Amino acid sequence: MTFWERWRIPIMLAPTMAIVIILFGGALYYGFLQSLGWQPRIGNTELSLDAYNNILFAGPQTEQFWRGLVLTLWVSFASTFLSAVLAIGSALLLRQTFVGKRVATFLFQFNLPIPHVVAAIGILFLFSQSGLISRGLAQIGVIGAPNQFPIVVRDSLGIGIILSFVWKEAPFLGVIVLAVLQSLGEDYEDLARSLGANRWQRFRYVILPLILPGLLSGSVIVFAFTFGSFEVPAILGVRFPRMLSVTTDRFFRDPDLNSRTEGMAISMIIAVIVLVLVFVYQWLSRRAIRQE
Amino acid sequence: MATTQNLERTTSMQDAPVITEAKSPLAGVLRYAAIGLILLFLLLPLLTFLINAFAFRWFYPQFFPKELSLQAWDNIFAPNFKVGEALWNSTLIAVVVTWVSIIIGIPAARALGMYKFRYKRVVEFFILAPIIVPGISISLGLNINFIRWGLSGTIPGVMLVHLIPVMPYVVLTLSGVFANYNADFEDQARTLGAGPIATFRYVTFPAIFPGIMVASLFAFLVSWSQYILTFLIGGGQVITMPVLLFSTVPGGRNPNIAALSLVFIGPAILILILTSRFLSGKSAIGGFGQI
Amino acid sequence: MTHVYLDKLTKVYPGANEAAVSDFSLDIPDGELVAFLGPSGCGKTTTLKMIAGLIRPTRGRITFDGEDVIAIPAEKRGAVMVFQNYLLFPYMSVGDNVGFGLKMRGVDKRTIRQKVQEMLELVKLPDISDRRPNQLSGGQQQRVALARALITEPRVLLLDEPLSNLDAHLRDEMRELIVSIQRQLKVTTVFVTHDQEEAVLLADKIALMFEGVLQQFASPDEFYQRPISERAARFFGGVNFIDANRNGNKVETSVGNFVFNAKNSDNAPEGDSVLTIRPEQIAIGHDVPNGENVVTGRVRSRIYVGTYTRYKIAIDDCEIEAIRSADLPGEINEGDEINVHFPSDRIWFVPRNSN
Repeated sequence: MTFWERWRIPIMLAPTMAIVIILFGGALYYGFLQSLGWQPRIGNTELSLDAYNNILFAGPQTEQFWRGLVLTLWVSFASTFLSAVLAIGSALLLRQTFVGKRVATFLFQFNLPIPHVVAAIGILFLFSQSGLISRGLAQIGVIGAPNQFPIVVRDSLGIGIILSFVWKEAPFLGVIVLAVLQSLGEDYEDLARSLGANRWQRFRYVILPLILPGLLSGSVIVFAFTFGSFEVPAILGVRFPRMLSVTTDRFFRDPDLNSRTEGMAISMIIAVIVLVLVFVYQWLSRRAIRQE
Repeated sequence: MATTQNLERTTSMQDAPVITEAKSPLAGVLRYAAIGLILLFLLLPLLTFLINAFAFRWFYPQFFPKELSLQAWDNIFAPNFKVGEALWNSTLIAVVVTWVSIIIGIPAARALGMYKFRYKRVVEFFILAPIIVPGISISLGLNINFIRWGLSGTIPGVMLVHLIPVMPYVVLTLSGVFANYNADFEDQARTLGAGPIATFRYVTFPAIFPGIMVASLFAFLVSWSQYILTFLIGGGQVITMPVLLFSTVPGGRNPNIAALSLVFIGPAILILILTSRFLSGKSAIGGFGQI
Repeated sequence: MTHVYLDKLTKVYPGANEAAVSDFSLDIPDGELVAFLGPSGCGKTTTLKMIAGLIRPTRGRITFDGEDVIAIPAEKRGAVMVFQNYLLFPYMSVGDNVGFGLKMRGVDKRTIRQKVQEMLELVKLPDISDRRPNQLSGGQQQRVALARALITEPRVLLLDEPLSNLDAHLRDEMRELIVSIQRQLKVTTVFVTHDQEEAVLLADKIALMFEGVLQQFASPDEFYQRPISERAARFFGGVNFIDANRNGNKVETSVGNFVFNAKNSDNAPEGDSVLTIRPEQIAIGHDVPNGENVVTGRVRSRIYVGTYTRYKIAIDDCEIEAIRSADLPGEINEGDEINVHFPSDRIWFVPRNSN
């Protein structure tokens, strides 16, 4: 075996792996050390779990953390689920032939490249108490003043945040589902029809299992992103409860360097929760697909 | 008995019942209504940007403003607003990140797409991990190293951190291309006298070009819309469009925010339209998950 | 067992200028195995899907045992289709695939399991119920697809290119299986193919289609002995076409005058027409005696193909092809002048310029 044959693959992978290992892995490593109180710049090299204890059990921010965790889980599960449902519905509608299909499909994909910051601002402009919908309702006399419009952005349930994520992610998942449906064609459904499956049975036993792998891997990306996303909850969230990413950021910006340790602890907890949930989700969905 | 029927094309159709193709009209109306509602939800927020950016004294119950003005545009393009600097920084960073990610991503994607090797699953897991782990979880750990290396608060430092979320999508997109790529064409070119460079230039590159365009699109968009990593590594000294927009939202005037948003999304949409003909199939969509 | 009748079936796809299928009428008796044969794009699959109920005809009628089924949706029609690429649901086990149709009808699980086993035995794959489709070979997948269709006890079985995705050695096996199951269950079966050999091997009768129009509906040997047009003859491997003028059993051609007395000669066109004969039915050789329907020709070329030899022979301005078994005595070489016999009961006539 020549040198090139032996080392070809490691050499090809080296630059990308360097980015991943040195930058990404190094950041996780030093982040973890910092969450244990390691701050050589202020002379602190002793490691302890104090920050985790303060966050999880007995510190001024404990309630903010737990309430924030509940909100974060709620927002990311709700956003992922609603996006997936809307995506399936949209894809089923858009794959049929109808006049205007090309235009509708183009418009459906139009917000894919729009950044989340802008999505949050758009939802703010649309759903705030003096937003466009409120104005529309006032025009037709349903409400008389801005404060009669329900608070759906900057609300404690995170509805505005969920709306922004659904606005962004439903087309993303929808395009994935649409691509799967188009690559499958209609033969599987025709076959099922000819074997006696009615419309609902064709959806339940044919379309859904066929789009599920693509939909699930897309949903994992959506879930992980919404769980750690910062911009949208920062713009559309309230002071209490705060989503975990926003809490982390507050700690980072605190002039007291000790609070960075706690911020880092939360950000490590975020990473662990996302990784665990993604693994469990993958495992469950693989098993569910196998059992179908 | 003649078993052969001579069947000429007959044109009489009076005795055959006529069946129309039309489905129930109600289903058609319901479909358009459903599609209309979905598109309304997706497009109305964008409409609010257009209205806000040109509105002047847009008092509450008015649906459309009575007066329009370009005031917001004058505001944001005033020198102290730093739109020019932000646009320049954002473009420079996104273009360099795109180039670098493609150049280092091609060999990795080729290795993952075309070869089987030990620990391949482990390598894939590491390359894809930044998709799952949020930027906020790595930003502070990164910052420590970057301060040590003197990259904190610099444009090269920001470019380097952008590679973290960009690389998974570039490698993912390109390895999908290489998985369907027939390397026999390269051997054919070599036997016809092409050296390694000529082989890449005339055989490999044209074959993977559509994939490169898609990967570039994702790389550009992920970098272009990156806020949290830019802010924490740039330390407020590297002003990009998302950093500028984000800092304008609290306390900023709506028309200014709207105009700034339009300036921000314009290039993203333009880039998508320019590369859209290369976008097809499910492999090509993944990158939109993190913009 | 169902008598299927197609009455002037026509399909014009939205936006298309030409009909995909035009006034297609066909009478398929109970329990018969019929092939729709034609080049790709001739409308045969469209016709199959119209029978299945998956495509709605623009005009025309389909009846099963006299009952009009046009308004019956595919899922209730009982005409089950087996697709060319088998389309086993990849996320289901083989057993679940086969049981799919019964599950859709709400049949209880025990009955389904029992029927699945029966069907898998019928297709001679009794032990693969728990496997996944991707663990099966192409031939096995085809059998599972067949079992999945038959479990619903369809009134009509529709097969799309049933042998075309199989290797040569599997085709024979599959052909025998399909024929034996079809004979056993006596289910009226229609299959679609572009391969005349496949049609001849399987079908009781063949419906030949060109451009959405039925050309000829007949038993396989009819297509060899009595094709309806030059194009039909060529589709079945005919290569010899000589302009002729027929008057009763007297035939004048540019290569000589012949006598014609085939069976069913009523269907052969008279007057200006084209004489056709299959290469294997021409007798050639130095030992062929002079006489009726014998002319002389010169051997242009010969190709040895193992069990037989293929000759190109010039007769005046005309070139014909003939096949001679390799076992026959007497050597024929290039350039030889030989006798060529067109047997009077083997020559046939098709219309001039008929296409």
